[in-house]
Amino acid sequence: MRLGAGFTTLFLAMVAAGCSDPSTGNGFAGLAQQPGDVDQSGFLQPQPGDTLTFPEDWGPHPQHRIEWWYLTANLKTADGEPLGVQWTQFRQALQPRAVESEPPDPDHWPLEAAWMAHGAVSFNGEHWFAEKLARGDVGHAGATVEPFRVWLDDWQLKSVPDSDHWRLQLQGDGWAYDLRLSNTDRVVAHGDNGFSAKSASGEGSMYFSLVDLRIEGTVTLDEETLEVSGKGWFDREWSSQFLKAGQQGWDWFALHLDGGEKLMGFRLREDDGAFLAGSWITAGGDVEALDSEDLTLSPASWQASEQGRVPVEWRLTIPRHGVDLTIAAPPGNYWNTGLYPYWESPVSVTGSHQGVGYMELTGYSE
Amino acid sequence: MMLVRAFVSHYRRHPFQLAALAVMIILATMLWTGVTVLTEQARSSLFQSEEAVAARVQVVRADGQPVNVEDFARLRMAGLCIAPWLEVQRPPPEGRAIGIDPLAMGCFGDATPGGDSGELDGAPFLDIAEAARLASEGYDRRLYLLAKHENVTLPESYMLREFSLGPPTGELADSFLLNLDALSLLVLLITGLLVRSVHRLGIAQRQSSFELLFRFGVPVRRVQQLLALELVVLTGICVLPGLWLGAKLAGMLGGGFGQALDSLFDVTLYAGSAEALPWQAAGVMVLLVLAVCLVDWLVPQRWQGAVSSNRGRLVAVLVLVAGLAVVALASDLARVFAGTALAFIGAGWLTPGMLAWLAQRLSDRAHPDGAGPLTRWRRRELAVMFRHLALPVVALQFAMATVLAVQALVTTFESTFDDWLAQRLEAEFYVEVPPGADAGLAADRLRVLEGVGSWHRVLRGEAIISSDGAGSDDRTLPVDLFALAPISDLVSDWTLLASVDKPWQQLEQGGVMVNEQLARRRQLELGQALEVLVADTAISVAVVAIYADYGRPAGELLMAGAALPEGFVTRFESFSVNPGELPMADIRAQLAEVWNVTDVTVRDNASVRALASRVFGQTFLLTRAISLLTLVLAAVALLIMSWVFFTTRVWYFRLLGIWGLPARAVRSQLRRLSVTLTLAVTLAALPLGIWLTWVLVSRINPLAFGWSLPMALYPGFWLELGLVAVITGLVVARLMRRQLIHRESGKQVKA
Amino acid sequence: MSGPVLATEGLSKGFISGGQRLPVLSGLTLGVLPGESLAVVGRSGSGKSTLLNLLCGLQRADEGVITVAGESFDSSGNRGFATRWAELRRRSIGVVFQDANLMPALSLVENVRLRTHLAGLTGGDERDWLERLGVGAEADRYPDQVSGGQAQRAALAMVFAMSPALILADEPTGSLDRHTADEVAECLFDMQANNGCALVLATHDRELAGRCDHLLDLSGTH
Repeated sequence: MRLGAGFTTLFLAMVAAGCSDPSTGNGFAGLAQQPGDVDQSGFLQPQPGDTLTFPEDWGPHPQHRIEWWYLTANLKTADGEPLGVQWTQFRQALQPRAVESEPPDPDHWPLEAAWMAHGAVSFNGEHWFAEKLARGDVGHAGATVEPFRVWLDDWQLKSVPDSDHWRLQLQGDGWAYDLRLSNTDRVVAHGDNGFSAKSASGEGSMYFSLVDLRIEGTVTLDEETLEVSGKGWFDREWSSQFLKAGQQGWDWFALHLDGGEKLMGFRLREDDGAFLAGSWITAGGDVEALDSEDLTLSPASWQASEQGRVPVEWRLTIPRHGVDLTIAAPPGNYWNTGLYPYWESPVSVTGSHQGVGYMELTGYSE
Repeated sequence: MMLVRAFVSHYRRHPFQLAALAVMIILATMLWTGVTVLTEQARSSLFQSEEAVAARVQVVRADGQPVNVEDFARLRMAGLCIAPWLEVQRPPPEGRAIGIDPLAMGCFGDATPGGDSGELDGAPFLDIAEAARLASEGYDRRLYLLAKHENVTLPESYMLREFSLGPPTGELADSFLLNLDALSLLVLLITGLLVRSVHRLGIAQRQSSFELLFRFGVPVRRVQQLLALELVVLTGICVLPGLWLGAKLAGMLGGGFGQALDSLFDVTLYAGSAEALPWQAAGVMVLLVLAVCLVDWLVPQRWQGAVSSNRGRLVAVLVLVAGLAVVALASDLARVFAGTALAFIGAGWLTPGMLAWLAQRLSDRAHPDGAGPLTRWRRRELAVMFRHLALPVVALQFAMATVLAVQALVTTFESTFDDWLAQRLEAEFYVEVPPGADAGLAADRLRVLEGVGSWHRVLRGEAIISSDGAGSDDRTLPVDLFALAPISDLVSDWTLLASVDKPWQQLEQGGVMVNEQLARRRQLELGQALEVLVADTAISVAVVAIYADYGRPAGELLMAGAALPEGFVTRFESFSVNPGELPMADIRAQLAEVWNVTDVTVRDNASVRALASRVFGQTFLLTRAISLLTLVLAAVALLIMSWVFFTTRVWYFRLLGIWGLPARAVRSQLRRLSVTLTLAVTLAALPLGIWLTWVLVSRINPLAFGWSLPMALYPGFWLELGLVAVITGLVVARLMRRQLIHRESGKQVKA
Repeated sequence: MSGPVLATEGLSKGFISGGQRLPVLSGLTLGVLPGESLAVVGRSGSGKSTLLNLLCGLQRADEGVITVAGESFDSSGNRGFATRWAELRRRSIGVVFQDANLMPALSLVENVRLRTHLAGLTGGDERDWLERLGVGAEADRYPDQVSGGQAQRAALAMVFAMSPALILADEPTGSLDRHTADEVAECLFDMQANNGCALVLATHDRELAGRCDHLLDLSGTH
């Protein structure tokens, strides 16, 4: 792909020009495998014991290499048809910047960070996807805390003044959505007070979520506007190293169970095994961190596609809570075919519990 | 197996014949491959240079202020596909740098500005941050915001403007490419003739061994199959080196071209495709060789015999006349191409016979005294050669005609292109009047500016021609109106196709000039009165000149600014300025001051012109290379054929020696014979070449694009071609002479 | 005329083949007076054609001296010899081969005219010569439009039209049928007798050779 090649080249050029470390190899925000160890000079690395700070942590972390704002939503149309929505905005720094220092002058067209946004809609077995890119600190892409706003060109998530809800507006080629998000004040910190380990050797990220968003609004597909409503899941995560050497990708799940419980679980695939972790959130809102001892996760069925073979059906168990779930993507192809292709699909949950959710699988693209 | 051995044994005894056929196929493949690659290169380089200088759209601020990064962010956040383009002017040798944002260009898709520059793989394209850093070192910088489409809805305070790195070449380029295609087809035709001639010769010389095979009871069919197999094998073997050589040759010729582009744009615009062998060219070649060599089985023997009969000649004349008529009268391109092919076939059919007849006639007129009998003999020999070398003679004639036509075409294109550039880039600098600025104020300032050179202001708007005075019909026709104020001597170099006396004074006094297309469409003549509606005011104006427009299809009126009625709406205004004694920077500063803007867009026409000229110059060079290559191959073919043919005639030259003609005189006869042969072919090529030139510029171009190039002839080049013919003839004589010497040293007097 | 038209003294010629010299002629001495005829006979390869080539300067002898019409040539290969030989052939030596004596692009009369022109004669009597040799009716035909016998007669007309001092004939009837060959030979000897020139005739044909005044058999001369 012409543009892809262009951006890859640019990326290398940017890295060579702006960064002492030529090996930020894990693509954009860790969406691709990395070939080796990454020099972290100048970037902060989250540690066990780090904690979350609000409202600052809603905004960007210029001293960290990668971060994202991420929403998935399991919605229903007025006819009761399920409809999935995803929006992610990534920031990838090429140069670290101290939190207290001023951002560079936009007139210099600085290249300290690049931004990428993904938007997708999944409905009736079809999947719409679009990608946008921008350089940071110029003005057309960024994130602010007060007022809370994350944007890239005309795509944006922002808090609605004098209310507790947010508005997310996106439009792609033949699709668009305009959603109102409420129940935005119940933060769930994952792992150890927000430090989420990503390997046995202690690397990790800062990670929190809004797990019980209520969403309503409209989704327009091929000029037909649908009224939608349902549940959403919002993630904030940042780090300077996501996949460490030897990790090939991740399988991530965020599920709303019918009893009111929420479950987040992920598996980082390593050369010899996998690293598992997650969070079990009771209907009452209590959070319990899960580790490899508590959680099992294994593919149950695979699907071949042009992009590669992906496991589209999974078995997840948490014996301690009597959880034994079959998680399955609906029929269809849910590849987000951007610069770094990955799978992002709504899922249905059956087994010991019923429910819905989202599944993100990276590192399967060939 | 025995049969096969018997079959190829001929070549064991006559390896030269096999070598001749192999060399011919290799050379033909080389030529065709070279032409294919070069044509493709010329096409892509032309396309790329066009792309590089093609007009694009940029977004400017309605308030006339230069755009900045906030404007960029604002427009992007309004959902528009906009990309920044930061030009930084550095002094040579670094020159211009262009900063682009590949991330922002994602939305441009394939229409990425600066060609396929998303890859940032070469200067002058840099990441915009790098360009901004360069600019901060004190170089002049200017930001443009490019838009993807012309049809975008902009926020209130912005407007779209044309953005170009140079003048659009429009149909001039398309026309050139069409002619290039026609050239390739001709080359293929010539190649076919050459291969066939060598093959026919081989067959003729093997006739006796074939007859022997028939006598031994081998069926004709079997011999034909073997012959076909032999040809397939030989072609298969020879096409490969030909292909390789052709690609190498094109690479060699194209190399200079790529370098020129390199230095021109500081970027490798032309990505050489010569590395990959053009296999499709090989496929065409194999088919061609098989077709021309095996045509004997397809065409009944009876017909072939009729070719040189009286009836055959009559058919040839009919074909030629039909071709000429079709080309002259055809109303579409396909017919012109078909007619041209017919005319070539007819001419090729007739030429050898005619030349032979002419030689025969001349020999009869050789005086019986003096050197008469010898001259008579030589002319008779010439007639024999014309008949026996018919195919290579025709190939050489076609090649020469092609070279002639291409030379005339390219030269015409070059001068037309120069004129066209001169007309559009008449002054050294071109200054756009920013939106909202008062051009009148600027004109006042320029008028009183000491030391400034020639300048004029161009106001562009619309007019409607309501009647052309001839009363034939009164269709109204909207046209573009250009007004000059004042009428400076910048325009005095314009090519006027027709004009009254002192046209520019007449223009000042209220006349109008019209462009060629308008004049043609409405059959306008000098002095004719036009009823023109300008800004709802009807005015009557007289046509004082018709100027060349080089293919712009829209009607144009040119008048003096003073003659514009009140209320004329200027859609676009600009100044053409020669700075004279002043530095352009001063003039620019003055204009910025008058218009109260921080920056004024100034286009340096000289560099644009140099750029465009060099790019096209290289393309023309390539085309010349192609035609020259064709000529060389045709000459080589004639050489080979003459040599082979001479083996059948060498005895008669020897006989002259036995009859006591000194060796030096024999060689002189040989030289005169071969030079007369090649010169005669050149003479025969002249009318065909001139006719082909006429077809290209006066038939194909108007039909394809609705406008014609001037038809020009270049007798100087005919002389050059004649010189080439003489040299070819001398080389042929030299080769034959070697054979003469070789035979003399033999044991026997007789061959 | 006193003295021989043609004389050789100690004439030798050999060829190098496979690194060895193969002698063809060794120390040949002969003389032919005006009006005389000499037949050269011998097996194929015995050197008949070589001798004829030497006698008209188309090949150079290894040793010996040749004198033709008063001009002498030794084996030194003097640079001027080629020009002198050419001059001799043009004016004084008529050569007749077995066939292909005529330019195919010229008619019979044009061939004769070309030959006399080269001999420096003003001409005008070409048709008479053709007439005398019995091919007057074919004068305007081309060589490929007449029979082999007619072509040889025309070739003889060419030779006699230039009134040569010496005629070298190499199997002049070799490709003709018996009857035609006799007719052509008849012409040759008649004309030679009338003309008074010397004739050297190389042939296989013993009968033809028998009509000559002298016989030189090259078989076994080396």
